[in-house]
Amino acid sequence: MLKINWFSPLPPAHSGIAYYAAQILPVLANRHEVVAWTDQGQVAPELERTARVVRYDPANPPWRALNDADVSIYHLGNHGGIHGGIWRVSRQHPGIVVLHDLCLHDFFAMVFLRILEKPDAYLAALERWYGEEGRRVGEAFLAGGIGAETMGQRYPLTREAVSGALGVITHSRGALEGLHETPASPVAALDFPYAATEESRYLGWMAARSVAPGPPYRLVVFGYLSRNRRLGALLEALAGLDEREQFRLEICGQLWDEGHIRTQIERLGLGSLVKLLGFLPESLVEQKLSTADLAINLRYPSMGEASLSQLQFWDYGLPTLVTRTGWYASLPDDATAFVRPEHEVEDIQSHLRALLADPGAFRAMGERGRQSLENNDPEKYVDAMTQFAAMALRRSPLVTALALAGRVGNDLSAWLHPAASAYLLDRASQEIVTIWPGKPRGYP
Amino acid sequence: MRVLILTSGVPFTRGGAEILAESLRDAVCAAGHQAEIVTLPFQSCPPSRVPEQMLACRLLDVTESCGMRIDRVIGLKFPAYLVPHPNKVIWMLHQHRTAYEFWDHPAAGDLIHYPDGQVVREAIHRADCTLLPEAKAIYTLSRNVSDRLRRCSGIDAEPLYNPPANALLFHNGPAGDYLFFPSRINSVKRQWLVIQALALCREPVRVYFAGEADNPAQQAECAKAQRELGLTNQVTWLGVVSEEQKCEWYANSLGVVFPPLDEDYGYVTLEAMLSSKPVITCADSGGPLEFVVHQHTGLVADASPQSLAGAMDALWADRRRAAALGEAGRERYLDLKISWENVVDKLLC
Repeated sequence: MLKINWFSPLPPAHSGIAYYAAQILPVLANRHEVVAWTDQGQVAPELERTARVVRYDPANPPWRALNDADVSIYHLGNHGGIHGGIWRVSRQHPGIVVLHDLCLHDFFAMVFLRILEKPDAYLAALERWYGEEGRRVGEAFLAGGIGAETMGQRYPLTREAVSGALGVITHSRGALEGLHETPASPVAALDFPYAATEESRYLGWMAARSVAPGPPYRLVVFGYLSRNRRLGALLEALAGLDEREQFRLEICGQLWDEGHIRTQIERLGLGSLVKLLGFLPESLVEQKLSTADLAINLRYPSMGEASLSQLQFWDYGLPTLVTRTGWYASLPDDATAFVRPEHEVEDIQSHLRALLADPGAFRAMGERGRQSLENNDPEKYVDAMTQFAAMALRRSPLVTALALAGRVGNDLSAWLHPAASAYLLDRASQEIVTIWPGKPRGYP
Repeated sequence: MRVLILTSGVPFTRGGAEILAESLRDAVCAAGHQAEIVTLPFQSCPPSRVPEQMLACRLLDVTESCGMRIDRVIGLKFPAYLVPHPNKVIWMLHQHRTAYEFWDHPAAGDLIHYPDGQVVREAIHRADCTLLPEAKAIYTLSRNVSDRLRRCSGIDAEPLYNPPANALLFHNGPAGDYLFFPSRINSVKRQWLVIQALALCREPVRVYFAGEADNPAQQAECAKAQRELGLTNQVTWLGVVSEEQKCEWYANSLGVVFPPLDEDYGYVTLEAMLSSKPVITCADSGGPLEFVVHQHTGLVADASPQSLAGAMDALWADRRRAAALGEAGRERYLDLKISWENVVDKLLC
C-alpha cells in the first residue's frame, strides 16, 4: 500500500478532470492511503467520505506533511486558474504528473502572464525548450503578432510542465513523441478510465432509442465548444446536404462565440434544424444522449489528449464522428467514423449519407464502442497507475542526476571555453552515472 | 604510510567529530606514519546543495600529492567518505542522519521540511548503497551505527570503539550531591527530558548541565521549562567548561545522566565509566546502550519523564549502590580494551 498525495480539481469544479477524480479516487482510496489536496473553496461532501481532503495554500505548501507520503500525483490540464496551484507545487516537489492536455501553452500563458504577471518567466520557459527561436516567437506573441492557436501547436511547452517529474502519465500513446515533447522522465500511456453504466440501464437506453428509429435523425454536439470543435464545418456540411431535412442537430454546451454561431446558422438557413441548448443539467444530458442517433465529436487542431465525452458517448452506445487526429486517431476503426481534417465537409456529408443508408451499421458502431469501455475500467487504471508510480519512485535519483548534470553544464559554460570543458563534462557525467546509476537495484 | 583522514564539517563549528579526527591523526602519527586531516566544508540546506557536494567529493583526486603517493585514505563522514581512492577505508561516524533515522524526527528532521527533500534523501540512499562498497573495508564508530548501516543500506561493518579524548585525565572522587549531564544542549540530547523528569522526582535530585546550546533558543527553552516547573534549586547550568573542569565535575558527581535520542556512540558514557560513575540512560539512546548494563554499570529507563525520574530517584536514594555501579562501569571499560592502537591497527591493516 502506498501513501499518496493527490492533486486535482475535485467535484463540484466544472472540469472533466474533477469528474475523472470522482471516478478514480474511490478505487484508489480503497487500496492505498490517499490524501486529496485542494485549493478549491468547496469540495463535494461525498468525496470527503471517500478520501481525506486537505486544503493547502499553493504559495506556502505544507512540505512536511507532503513528505509523509510515498508519492505525489499531480493532474495538469490547460486551465491556468484550475491547475496553476497544482503546477506550482509539482515543480518544487517531484512526483507523477498526469497530463490531461498535451499542449500547455495556453496554461503557461495564463499562469505566467495573467496570474503571476511574469512575462520574463514566460519567455525564459520558451527559450529553455525552443532556444532563441522560442524567445523570439514569445516576444511576437506578447506583441500580438502570433496567435495562441499557433503557439499551442508549435510551442506547446509540455516539457515545462513535467520538468523534474518522477514520471509522466498521458492517456494517448506516442503523443508526446509526436509533439517532440518527450520528457526525460519515464512516460506511461494509460487508457483513460471510465466506469461504464450498468448493463440494465444501458439496455433501457437502447430500447428507448429503437422506439423511433427513423428520420429525422438526432445529431448532438456536447461540451465546451471552442473553435477547434469545428462547428463551422459541421454547419456548412449540413447546409450543403440535400437530405438535410432528415437531420436535427442539438448543440449542448458553452460556445466560445455564440453570436458568431447564431449568425452562421441564420446565414446557412439552418434555423429550423439546429438548436443551441447551452450547458445542460445532468438529467437532461441523459435524456439527450439516450435518444440521440449520432454524436459529433470533432476536434481540430487537437490538444492531443483523451476525451471524456467520447467515452460518455460510447457509454450510451452512441456512434460518433471524430477527427482523425491526436488521441482520436487511435480509436478503433469499427467503433468510430473518422473525419479527415483536410476534408471535413466532404467526410461529414459522406457519413451522414451513410447513416441514412444504413442506420443499423451506425448503431452497431456505437455498441462496439460501448464494449470497448472494458479497456477503460477504473480498477485496471488504478493498478497501472500505481505500478508505474512505484517504478518511477525506484528511479527517483534520476531526477537528482539530471538536475545536477544541468547545473554542471550551466556552470561550466559560464566560465570555461567549450573546447576545454569536454574533459570536465565527461568526468562529471561519468561520476553522476556512477553515483546514481540509471538502472537501480530491483528495477525490472 | 602517508595517510589522509577525510572528513566533512561545518565551518566555525567544532564538536566530537573534529576531536575524533584530531585524535585519530595523532594516533596514526604516534604509530610512526604521516597523517593529515582534510576537512571538506558541508552545507545540508537547502537540500539541492547536498548532491552537488557529493559530486564535488567524487571529482576530487587524492591518490597523490606533489608526485608522492597517498597510501591510505580514511573516510569518516558523509559526503567526504565518498571521495574515491584505491586504498580507502571508511570508519563511519554516521551516515547523513536526516536522510535516515532522523528523516521524520520532529526536532532533528530537516530534509523533510523541503520540497525536494524526498528526492535528495533517495539520492543519498542510492549513493551510499552504490559507493560505500568501493572501500577496502568499512568500520563504524559503534554497534549502533553498524546496525543502522545494515538496516538502511544492507552493508555489514565492524564497530571499532575508540577512547574519549584525554582519557587519562578521568578519575574518581568523592560522590557529591548532583548528577552530571555534560553535552551540547539541543533537542536530540534531550536535556528537556531530564528537566521534565526532575519535576517528578521524589528525592531532592539535582542535575548539573555542562555544555553550550546549539542555538540560543534551545537554551532559552530549557531555562523556561526550569522556571515553569519550579526547579530553580535543582538545575544548574555550568555553560562551557574546560576539559580539566569537566573531569572534576565527573569525579565529584554521584552519577551521570545521559538520555540522548539514538546517539551514535556517546563519549559521555565512556567518560563516566572512566570516572567510575554510574550512567542513567534511556532504552532508545543508541550508543550508550552498548556500554551501560542495566543494574550492573548503570540504569536504563524508558524515554519518559516518569521512568527517568524513577531511575534518578533510585540512584539518589542509594549512594552505596551508585558507587558499586560506577566501579563496575570502570571495570567494564577496561575489559573492553578500547585503545587507539587497536583502531589504528585495524584502519591501516
